[in-house]
Amino acid sequence: MEFLTWLEQTEFSTWMRESDWGHPIGLCFHAVGMGLVVGISFMFCARVLGYAKSFPLAAFDQLFGLAWFGFAMNAASGIVLLIADPRRMPFTPAFQIKMVLIVFAGLSLWALARALEGTERGRAKDLKVPSGAKVAAVTTIVFWCGAIVAGRLIGYTIGPPPV
Amino acid sequence: MTEADILHWIRDTSLGVAVRQSRWMFATGETFHFFGLSLLVGGILIVDLRLLGFLRHISMRSALSFLPFAIIGFVINLLTGILFFTADPMMYWPNPAFRLKMFLILLAGINALIFTLFKHRQALALGDDDQATTFMKVSAGLSLSLWLVVLLLGRLLPAFEGSTSFL
Repeated sequence: MEFLTWLEQTEFSTWMRESDWGHPIGLCFHAVGMGLVVGISFMFCARVLGYAKSFPLAAFDQLFGLAWFGFAMNAASGIVLLIADPRRMPFTPAFQIKMVLIVFAGLSLWALARALEGTERGRAKDLKVPSGAKVAAVTTIVFWCGAIVAGRLIGYTIGPPPV
Repeated sequence: MTEADILHWIRDTSLGVAVRQSRWMFATGETFHFFGLSLLVGGILIVDLRLLGFLRHISMRSALSFLPFAIIGFVINLLTGILFFTADPMMYWPNPAFRLKMFLILLAGINALIFTLFKHRQALALGDDDQATTFMKVSAGLSLSLWLVVLLLGRLLPAFEGSTSFL
């Protein structure tokens, strides 16, 4: 707690809270990163679930490079937003739930990649996607949606500033 | 009817009243606005990046099959956006970030319309490894840039509340 109090009193944390632009700019990066990570995940999951069968799964390798860039952007902007409010944010249940859901979404995508291993992912059209991969695609969508809901709820449920 | 009359009328519609009185409608709308944003970004990325030459090994027809997600995302955001506007039209209307955002959405729409009317058929003929024309690439670049700025302006909107210009 002492550390968090110190963090809150740093010049950067104070600037994030009190300046006109610190918070909105942090949120801008966070929204762009979300669009990249969740948007690309959604399209990938739709493809795994049987949508756009002529679109080769291998083409997503390039897109996932961009999704990782979005994830890095959101980890960085997320840490910045956390530093802005270090004594309230970590103790907000919506924030904690969001972190858990992001970990689950990541694990779900990892499981999805594992389930696709061994399938012919190249140019083959109408390849057979294992049912395990389809389950992982559904859970990935659910976890990302949950993380967005929880993220939105942080702003509405964060407690009053501690005295 | 003056501009103020119209804004008052929108504010007093049953939708506007309902959104302001409800504890959950606005927050739920915001959440769906994010779902819509993700669908729009995901769909538009695949189409525009293919046009720009990044996913060259796939046919344009395959890439364009993701366009319906972008359209669904846009419709979700149009509807939730109308919900936000009716809740507080006096805040949104004079807000410069809101005005610029609407203008850029209009430009993005015109850009998409021109592409659909004049280039869609030609684009569909692009097979694996075929390059798009310069016109198509410019259109794709415009589309990506416009939607990026639209997204940023949406996020910056509250910061411009009460201001009348960007200066």
